[in-house]
Amino acid sequence: MLRALVLFLTALLACAAPPAVAQDSQLQAILQTHADEVADPGRRSVGPLIDDLAASGLPGIARFLDRWSNKQVFLNAGDGLFYYGARDGETFALRDIASDEPVGTAPASALEEIRPNGGVRRVIGSALVQFQLSDPDRATRVDALDALARRPAADQLEPLRASIEGEPDPALKARKERLAGLLTARFGEGTETRVAAIEDLADATDIETRAGLNRILASRSEVAETLPEGVNLARVLEIGPDLSEADAYSRLVDDGLAPAPVTNAEVKTALTANIQNGAVAGIPVEQLSDPDRRTEAYAALAASGAVPPLVTPEAQAEAVASHVFYEVYEDPDPVVTEAARSALDTIEARVARFQVLDIGLDAVSLASIYFLAAIGLAITFGVMGVINMAHGEFIMMGAYTGYVVQQIVPNYTASLVVALPLAFAVTFAAGVALERLVIRHLYHRPLETLLATFGISIALQQLAKNIFGTQARPLTAPDWLGGAWVMGDVVAIANIRIAIFVLALIFLCVLLYILKRTRLGLEVRAATQNPGMAGSMGIDPGRINMLTFGLGSGIAGIAGVAIGLYAQVTSEMGSAYIVQSFMTVVVGGVGNVWGTLAGATLIGGLQKGIEWFNPSNTLAAQTYMILFIILFIQVRPKGIVALKGRAAGD
Amino acid sequence: MRALVRSNPSILWFLGLLAAFCLGVTFLAEATGTGAISTSFVKTLGKTLCLCLVAIAMDVVWGYCGILSLGHMAFFGLGGYAIGMWLMYARTEIIVSASLASAAIPPTPQEVEDAIASQIFGVVGASEFPWLWAFADSLVLQLAMVVLVPGLLALVFGWLAFRSRVTGVYLSILTQAMTLALSLYLFQNASGLRGNNGLSGLQNIPGLGGVPQSVVSIAFFWVSAVALALGYLLFAWVVSGKMGSVVRGIRDNEARVRFLGYHVEGFKLFVFTLTAIVAGLAGALYYPQAGIINPAEIAPIASIYLAVWVAIGGRGRLYGAVIGAASVSLLSSWFTGGGAPDIDLGFYEIQWTDWWLVLLGLSFVAVTLYAPKGIGGLIDLVAERRAPSRSRDLGPDASALRKTEAAE
Repeated sequence: MLRALVLFLTALLACAAPPAVAQDSQLQAILQTHADEVADPGRRSVGPLIDDLAASGLPGIARFLDRWSNKQVFLNAGDGLFYYGARDGETFALRDIASDEPVGTAPASALEEIRPNGGVRRVIGSALVQFQLSDPDRATRVDALDALARRPAADQLEPLRASIEGEPDPALKARKERLAGLLTARFGEGTETRVAAIEDLADATDIETRAGLNRILASRSEVAETLPEGVNLARVLEIGPDLSEADAYSRLVDDGLAPAPVTNAEVKTALTANIQNGAVAGIPVEQLSDPDRRTEAYAALAASGAVPPLVTPEAQAEAVASHVFYEVYEDPDPVVTEAARSALDTIEARVARFQVLDIGLDAVSLASIYFLAAIGLAITFGVMGVINMAHGEFIMMGAYTGYVVQQIVPNYTASLVVALPLAFAVTFAAGVALERLVIRHLYHRPLETLLATFGISIALQQLAKNIFGTQARPLTAPDWLGGAWVMGDVVAIANIRIAIFVLALIFLCVLLYILKRTRLGLEVRAATQNPGMAGSMGIDPGRINMLTFGLGSGIAGIAGVAIGLYAQVTSEMGSAYIVQSFMTVVVGGVGNVWGTLAGATLIGGLQKGIEWFNPSNTLAAQTYMILFIILFIQVRPKGIVALKGRAAGD
Repeated sequence: MRALVRSNPSILWFLGLLAAFCLGVTFLAEATGTGAISTSFVKTLGKTLCLCLVAIAMDVVWGYCGILSLGHMAFFGLGGYAIGMWLMYARTEIIVSASLASAAIPPTPQEVEDAIASQIFGVVGASEFPWLWAFADSLVLQLAMVVLVPGLLALVFGWLAFRSRVTGVYLSILTQAMTLALSLYLFQNASGLRGNNGLSGLQNIPGLGGVPQSVVSIAFFWVSAVALALGYLLFAWVVSGKMGSVVRGIRDNEARVRFLGYHVEGFKLFVFTLTAIVAGLAGALYYPQAGIINPAEIAPIASIYLAVWVAIGGRGRLYGAVIGAASVSLLSSWFTGGGAPDIDLGFYEIQWTDWWLVLLGLSFVAVTLYAPKGIGGLIDLVAERRAPSRSRDLGPDASALRKTEAAE
């Protein structure tokens, strides 16, 4: 109670008296020497004040200018000093002008709010840019540059140039120089200066430069009876390819050069309004379902002057034909726009090259995912002639293994290290079990293997749904896989995709090593070529089949972890990859690691290529890709890398 | 005809049982009988008959001709889309005409069409008819589409595939790719068939607004049953006689049949296209009973289920396909519909809505492994007991014999 009373009294005192301590500071001193200009700024009179402020080099100036223009600076009538103020109920909380520390409160009546008008605020704003551009805080400088790039203005050029010299950050310095170039190109004095600046810009690729050049090339479309002389003409629009006739006519209407056409809806409204005794202009209403009769009725109404006359299509075509539609650059200087156009063309050609590179990298990363998903399938299909429809579910099993490991091992890097071999082990075991229990009995009936493994696939999918639920489970990548590798302004590729590419490369090498350099590989290849002969040479085909199937399934498990890292883990994730994997195997050619690689590259590249033509529609891309594959099989039924001779089996 | 029945004694059995079944359902249905069977169950039974029809087609192409097509449900869906377009157009036309008729001025044909288009395509943000719908106003032309679209697609696809001698597993994957491509295409809003919304309201037959659904359902049930009976006769004819022998020969050893001078590709193409057309017809009967069709119906999984039905029912015998399709699809709706009682194991309660697919998958594996003849094999056991035959069967094994050889 006592405590509350003391607080109340203190507050009362603080309100009653102006802040006791007069704040002596250099900033306050400068403001006091220009007190009139600060309190009642005019567009012309603030110049000397801002110059003084800039010359002083004091730290709080940017803050002051910002708040000044935002009407947060107040003059305290009591002591004649300037404060920052913020409304707090009936009173204002005051802060010191130099240190921005609270110094007390004052009633609204004791304060005079300073309201710089729009012109002054613009002056302050451009002065502020200069302070923000040389602010010690990097983030402030970046913000200032962003604002400048968004709303470039002629008066910002000088402060920007002035700030380049003292810029410590090389990246920001480069950006400032580029922006200065852009501003010069747009607002510079004289054609030569501007053209020179534009030509300097031609070796950049960034979006800011492209946007800046596009601003110089901004044009408006106009229409006239004949092409006018002395304008900076961008292009003449041709009716047909550039501008449809309907659009051209509506443009004429907008410019008041032609009467507005009467739409069908307007005809209908007019007819409805003029029904008399069940007829319009003598034509019975029942007959008005015929468009010709409607026109007739409307023409009759128009002849009597009740409605505006119809504009016939012929009249519209004639009106369009008797006018020229063209675009004019906003910038009157043809030399500058010409230079900007050619600079932009150069830049866009370079950007297009970078985009091709970007698409190429995307395609490579997609191809490595397909490769990882398909290689296990290729091994089992190639060696054993067995189609494993449950392959996708092994991918899912691997991904869920990764998810479970992540629930137990909280460190993402460590859990990844544990998850990869564990996923291999789990799916290897599952594969061996599947081979022993089911596939072994169906070796001479490939179509039935397909169906039996399909049964396994639905069972596994539903089992996963029962255990883990239907919602997607995250498999979080460690931080060092989080970012992206950025090259230039156009090319960027996520680290996770690079990691998958590396993983695919490792698998390619490991598989090639196993198949070509180890005893197991030799036996596998022998069993592939001629199982009977291999058997009589002492190779146990059952064991080889089991190990091959296990290996193929194990790789699917690892692919599952990799795929789960960038896509969501769901019970249906496997079925999303199974058809694509089959395509990869079939297109590449069966029973060959290189074939799978070629197939994955072709399919990945193709899909990205098609998406490039029609980026908004991945569904269409997949449709066209599958159609392509169906046609491709016509040309090369055995795939890209077809086995020849005895190895081909059959 | 008599020869056909003699060589296929199952025809009489089948037709008799089907007729008995239909009469039984009619006497128990709401509209025509006691009402012991609800209208929705009559619809389920009618849909099941359509599924049996497409299963027979699948059996002919797979069990008799050896082409494991994983794309026949695409033809089924195309048939459904073809009839669905007319149903939706005609019904919307009735609604739109009724609402426009109240206007002061009668509408022009163009206005009616625009109103129908914006009614149908508003959901995908379009208001004009795509070219696909050029014939949607004509029932006759759309019925022709039911036959032509699946038939032509199967003809072109089959010609491309058989010409380049794509066989076995490759062909299965290729057909699966076809149906995947088709469903992905239809999933786009720009496909002109309302994207993933599909066509809906198909159960309302235009011009039959006053007829209650209970009557419509029993009518469709009968039409489906007649279609199934005709389909059974057609395919029994196809797989018997000399052509049937050639077709089965292609299944058992394609190269040998080719070397005997038969044009294998022609026979395969005929069977593939004919079954696709029948699948389209079955779809055209199925979807007015289902009421809605969307691209998910064409997804590869649907065709795989079709193969599952045929495999469980028993390949290489027409009645096997019917048994498989009817039992598995009805069981499936019984289990997933919550009809089956949950089993309490004490530590875990098995809820069949969750575990039915696991059971189906595993039993499918078991059937493939241990009973390649499927449920139809049981009928063989009975038939065998009544009239023991010393010959080997004509089934899909490598040991199939010629027909005359088997008859001795």
